[in-house]
Amino acid sequence: MKKAIALSMAAAMVLGLTACGGSSSTAATTAAATEAAKETEAAAAEAPAAEAGDFTFDKTVNVYITHGAGGDTDYMARMLSAALEQKLGVSVVCSNVTGSNGATCMQQYKDGDKDGYTYVCSNTAALNGNEATGMVDFGYDAFEPVAVYGIQSGENLVVNADAPYNTLKELIDATVANPGQIKLGISTGGGVYIEACVLTNLGGAQFNIIDSGDASSRLTALLGGEVDATSLPYSVAADYIENGQLKSLCTLLSKAPTLLPDQEPASATIPELVIDTEYVMLAPKGTDPAAVKAMNEAILEVTSTDDWKQKCNDYSYQDPFVLNLEDTIKNLDEQRTLFQSFKEFL
Amino acid sequence: MLLEGLSAVLQPMTIILIAFGTAIGIIFGSIPGLTATMAIVMFLPVTYSMEASQGISMLMSLYIGGISGGLISAILLNIPGTPSSVATCFDGKPMADKGQAGKALGTGVVFSFFGTIIGIALLVALTPLLCDFALKFQAYEYCALAMFSLSMVIALTGKDMTKGLISAVLGALLATAGLAPIDSKPRFTFGLYQMNNGFALLVLLIGLFAISEVMGYAESVRRQQNFTVNNDAKIKGAGFTLAEGIKQIPNCIVSAIIGVAIGILPGIGGGVSCMISYTVSKNTSKHPELYGTGIMDGVVASEAANNGTIGGAMIPLLALGIPGDAVTAMLLGGLQVHNVAPGPLIYEKNGAVVYAIFCAMVVSAIFMMIFMLVGMRFFVSVLKVPKNFLLPIVIVLCGIGAIGNANMLFDTYTMVAFGLMSYLMIKSKIPTVPMILGFILGPTFETNLRRVSQLASSDPFYHHPIFMVLMAAMVLVVIFSSRSNLKEAKRAEAAEAAAEGQQ
Repeated sequence: MKKAIALSMAAAMVLGLTACGGSSSTAATTAAATEAAKETEAAAAEAPAAEAGDFTFDKTVNVYITHGAGGDTDYMARMLSAALEQKLGVSVVCSNVTGSNGATCMQQYKDGDKDGYTYVCSNTAALNGNEATGMVDFGYDAFEPVAVYGIQSGENLVVNADAPYNTLKELIDATVANPGQIKLGISTGGGVYIEACVLTNLGGAQFNIIDSGDASSRLTALLGGEVDATSLPYSVAADYIENGQLKSLCTLLSKAPTLLPDQEPASATIPELVIDTEYVMLAPKGTDPAAVKAMNEAILEVTSTDDWKQKCNDYSYQDPFVLNLEDTIKNLDEQRTLFQSFKEFL
Repeated sequence: MLLEGLSAVLQPMTIILIAFGTAIGIIFGSIPGLTATMAIVMFLPVTYSMEASQGISMLMSLYIGGISGGLISAILLNIPGTPSSVATCFDGKPMADKGQAGKALGTGVVFSFFGTIIGIALLVALTPLLCDFALKFQAYEYCALAMFSLSMVIALTGKDMTKGLISAVLGALLATAGLAPIDSKPRFTFGLYQMNNGFALLVLLIGLFAISEVMGYAESVRRQQNFTVNNDAKIKGAGFTLAEGIKQIPNCIVSAIIGVAIGILPGIGGGVSCMISYTVSKNTSKHPELYGTGIMDGVVASEAANNGTIGGAMIPLLALGIPGDAVTAMLLGGLQVHNVAPGPLIYEKNGAVVYAIFCAMVVSAIFMMIFMLVGMRFFVSVLKVPKNFLLPIVIVLCGIGAIGNANMLFDTYTMVAFGLMSYLMIKSKIPTVPMILGFILGPTFETNLRRVSQLASSDPFYHHPIFMVLMAAMVLVVIFSSRSNLKEAKRAEAAEAAAEGQQ
């Protein structure tokens, strides 16, 4: 099936190339040439290493991304795949299978091919959050975890700059003074929903909780004055914080991003309020352990370059954050335990 | 900064990428089942390794090419190539049937170009003003806007209002399948996880238009066929005269502005803008009865509006960092990858890139017009291909499109099911177009109605003037369109009775 799609896409491309004549085919070849030049550069930068473990990748690796093209989960997965392609010497093909905060893709591939050529790239807040909210009935142990390979710039609790509160504590106190009057914009079901539930049940806040949709519509709602506070990824709010329209009260990461050391973690006020969104690669349950180990080692290697560090710095204000097999499982388990402890009030 | 942007775009490599992107976009747009969105999904990762202005120029050209390409199959096959060109079928296909395929294509292409340019002009000139407008649209306003747009169904369906409403309501009901908005409770999923995402617009569109077209044709397979196609093989210039073009200018401007306005509002998109502007154009025209019989006005209204939507959608994306639909969400990703963060500081931080985007859009619109005007001499020859060869290929491409939409085979089954449904609807004379409107706007209405119910306790409706204006407008549309529809129905009845009396 997949071959058929690939073939027909290729056919469409060829059609395209012939249809628009000389100029476009030059474009394609030049584009390919630039690509190739970059690839050789990258290959030269990394010395060809010995095979990791006793598993050799000798055909195309398929990576299924749980979130849409253009988002952070997609970007990190594609960057990793591009680096892995150099390292492994085989094609790494990325496809997005989106919907239901990643649940669609995970459901589709948790029992996928176990030969070591099928992987799922997602983020831990979706993986553990969907289980805690009851969207799916399986956790990370329905997969063979391969590696945690990065960390997000973090959700921040954001308010308009002229708001009278400057810390999380002051905001919570304000909601207690005016119960149900301060509007918190959230998106029901995801990490932001967990955050609102923790704020209410463990932090004692009394917001009027309003569904405002995804990050960009929450931004609209905050700017338009429909809500008084909301949670936004730092990268979405950055410009507005810089030009003084919005201010961030705290980050929900367990510790401030490397490049934003001034951010105060919410856990200083409410110890349980930690949402570390990390990028994770998973393999279908029962995948050859040798393949998982080889993939983890390849990831550890390709993410130790300066180039990777630069990409993480630029994109998520973070230093690289990559874990070996053992730590990956430990890390996933810790977050799962935390999220499961919220289950009663989700 | 304008010069900087201009010089970034006017480099041979960038120009080539724009030309390439426009051409690929046109191809994706013109093939039913492949859309502008898919073209951008495919090429987004490729742009990760390009320079910022090159990458974004290419994405913009895919967008413009993809939205414009949809008119080709809408006119020639009566199957809209993208959701944005649904309304182009209404008059485009009748024109082609009259042997004016070349004129219809030329009209579509030229006014797509003007629509794009008007959109870009407003984008460049009025961005700050229009951003305020976009921010004023919150839950209350969207709720009213969805109802107002749905009331257009009455104006759109003409004399058989009941059937039009049946279709729109069915569309809205179909959109309730999957995880509910806001609380993510599964509805009508029958325990199938594939159903959690609900039905995709693209899949519904293919089922409604492509599959039913093929089934309709299959009825006539054993009948004698007349394969001679009457089309004016020699197309002069753009296919229409200068005088004809000039007459369309007011229509084009109004339609493009409707397109821009809808583009600014996140989440509505080109599929709705073409239908609304078609309806507006029809109802304000001096000869509304000619719409649907194959006149330029209908094609102009639809194509100027859907291309105007491009400029409109770029406004909140660039100036607020707020993407309105799948395409602009990907463009946002494509910009962020190059450390260009759309938002209030984009002019200060990345002014050159913004002007490069504007220039790339203009260059791409020019390429689009050239490619399509040159290409249309070949496109019309599609009509000479016997349909029994052509339609199976179309179906295969649609299947690929349905799978490619979310990488799920399941979508091809729903595509076929929608095809059967559509065939039965056509047999019982229920129009399929209102279904698309219901399908797109139903969820907008539901989501925002539920948000409003959360808001109402601390934010009453009379604080929202736009909400009240839209509701009043809706009431007026309902009253006036029902009245004119009733009159039309009576006239038709009287004419029938008269015809019977004569016999």
